[in-house]
Amino acid sequence: MSGMDGSASGATTSGEEGEAMAERRGDGWKLGRREFLIAAAAAATLPPQPAAAASPWAERPGGKVDRVNFVVWTYGDIYTKISKKFVDDWGVTVDSTISSFNDHPTKLMTMYAGGETIDVSQSSPFSFPSFISQGLVEPLDGLPGAADYLADFTQSAKQVAVYDGKLMGLPYFSTVWVWSYYTDLLDKAKFEPFTSYDELLEQLRKAKKDQIVDYPIQWIAGVGLEQLPGTWYQLTWNRGGRFFDKQGNHQLGPGSIARDTLKWWIATFTEGLADPESLKVQFTSGAKAFTAGKNLYRGPNHHYGLNIMNDPSQSPIAGKVKVWGSPGDGKTIGDTHVYFLCTANRDRDWAWKLLQYLGGKTKDGAYTQADTLARDAMLGSGYASVMKSAAVAEGWKPWGEPQKILQIWDKATYVGEVCNSVYQPWHFPWTDRVNIEVQKALTGQITADRCCDTLITAIKEVQKG
Amino acid sequence: MGARRVRPGGELSPRALAAVMNLPSLVTLALVLAYPIYYAAYLSFHKVALAELRRGVFPFVGLDNYRRIFADPLFLLSLKNTFIFTVVSVGAEIVLAVTIALLINERSVPLSRVTRVLILLPYAVPPIANGLIWAFLYNFDFGFLNRILFGAGVITTPIDWVGNPQTALYVLTIPYIWRTLPFAILLVHAALQGINPELYEAASIDGATAWQRLRHVTLPLLRPIIVVILVLRTSFAFTVFEEVLAITQGGPGDATWVAAWYSYRRSFAPPFDIGVGAASAYVLAFAVGALAIAYVKMIYRRIE
Repeated sequence: MSGMDGSASGATTSGEEGEAMAERRGDGWKLGRREFLIAAAAAATLPPQPAAAASPWAERPGGKVDRVNFVVWTYGDIYTKISKKFVDDWGVTVDSTISSFNDHPTKLMTMYAGGETIDVSQSSPFSFPSFISQGLVEPLDGLPGAADYLADFTQSAKQVAVYDGKLMGLPYFSTVWVWSYYTDLLDKAKFEPFTSYDELLEQLRKAKKDQIVDYPIQWIAGVGLEQLPGTWYQLTWNRGGRFFDKQGNHQLGPGSIARDTLKWWIATFTEGLADPESLKVQFTSGAKAFTAGKNLYRGPNHHYGLNIMNDPSQSPIAGKVKVWGSPGDGKTIGDTHVYFLCTANRDRDWAWKLLQYLGGKTKDGAYTQADTLARDAMLGSGYASVMKSAAVAEGWKPWGEPQKILQIWDKATYVGEVCNSVYQPWHFPWTDRVNIEVQKALTGQITADRCCDTLITAIKEVQKG
Repeated sequence: MGARRVRPGGELSPRALAAVMNLPSLVTLALVLAYPIYYAAYLSFHKVALAELRRGVFPFVGLDNYRRIFADPLFLLSLKNTFIFTVVSVGAEIVLAVTIALLINERSVPLSRVTRVLILLPYAVPPIANGLIWAFLYNFDFGFLNRILFGAGVITTPIDWVGNPQTALYVLTIPYIWRTLPFAILLVHAALQGINPELYEAASIDGATAWQRLRHVTLPLLRPIIVVILVLRTSFAFTVFEEVLAITQGGPGDATWVAAWYSYRRSFAPPFDIGVGAASAYVLAFAVGALAIAYVKMIYRRIE
């Protein structure tokens, strides 16, 4: 994973190994000289650490609580085991509030506004700046072991979890956007996986014309932060464009790559090549829909969709879905989701302990949850040492080709580089407009030019609040 | 005064007794209805986001929240969509409710008790469950609706029911009508049973046809209940939310953004601008109130 920054080594990997891995995996999310200077400056601004215990994760917090709680979105049953481990290790009950991904911000917000106690919660990178600006997130600087975690962060994890020079969260998981294809249909059409967008369009047209399938491609373009906008970000970035530069200036004007990409994308809908359900599916439902075997290709989205598409208990086409990198230089995007310590906690030290169980190390010093997420759910980690471990190299094998995905991973850039507005509290309302206007463009209600012009106007509107 | 309220023997006067008996209801209503309504109005004039809610300090912003929503094209579109949704769904409901109630009421039409119960069944379905059921029915690739029509030879290619921005809003009215129609049927059916059969006998003796009996006897006598249905159904249709949440989430694009969805998104999605959400909800409430008053005045004036 390019997030392997080759910086200070983690608990389980030596610095030498880290450097070797980073070198072997290219320079996508690798820590460059500039990034190193930024990271060093950020680290320098952190408060001095108290004399830390050798293994702070094994120390019992001083305060006394009878329970702790977390508020998260659902993902399988990943929270059952880790909650039990916390109870077994510390004898403190863990309460959980689990809602759907889309409902999580609302659930968290209502609990917070209602004055309820929340020790730990989680956030997508897109909501995190908003949560921080609303005062939900407590900085972790100075907490026992926090600096060690930061040293093991991948670049992607740093870009999300370090905000204004402060450590604000621990990584939940990392993901990278990959293409997928269904081998049976590709064989039937006698195609090789595409190597350019022109070739892709030709293949889609031919597959439809030859009646291989009605709709050769499924896009993940339902309303949300990581569906429709994510697909547009990925396609644009791969073609050499971006949405905002470092100074925050939009890159959506006439002749921009984002605008041209949208025009190309619209063509797949107007020519009837894209499955109409594309505009409704979320990342998980899209993976499930793909298992019906009615599309040749699935547009770029989280790599871990493979754990549905290639799971024999969920997919009739299990084992026949392969990942594919993006055309050209293969650039793609990735992101990291985080757990954070909520300001509405009951006891900061115990909340920090619980946070570590979800996003850091357990009492035995292992990244138990990150390891489990990799092995059970094919999720990537925000910790360099976990990404280099067998949890990924072996744990991902039941669903895909880990090495191939890691090669794609090396070419991934954090989505914040592509769309700098993710660091702004107005990114979320602006994304609302992106969802609306781009869907209108994809369904032929407006042109790509009008869509982009409207989105440019909307930037100022949402900035005003 | 005290002597007047308490009768000899310690009994309360009728007025005092009425006041005492009504007090619990009035207090309950004040708590569960009046206070939230007042509080929402209060919020709509203040800046209220997460941090303010937690602190309990809301800076006064005057009419700024109202200015913002009226400057937002999406809010105006949401109002327009809500109006269209209401006209279509309530209009269809009235026509269908009267038709079905007349059928149920007609003794010459054989309907089993089971059938009568089945007609009422959708009203027992929770709104969000209804939305999910119809989301499955409408699914482009695997939906039952396309499968049935395809199997019957009515269509040769599947229809993208809720994916077409030109038709999505109208398609969305169907699940809503399906869910709420039984309530209207119940009311009309009850009203039909209250009509004196002698009126029909007299009309028949005077040579009135079935259509004339319907037009000159039944429908005029149903007018009060139709007003009630109009007022109730309009106010409920104006606040439609669950079907939007479950089926379209406002899409495709902004084709099915309605007023309640707008208020929800403004209030409960980052950046959690509850003041703006409350203002939009208040505009919606005023619109519903104005329409209800207009209905009542219009229809009762005709009756008089």
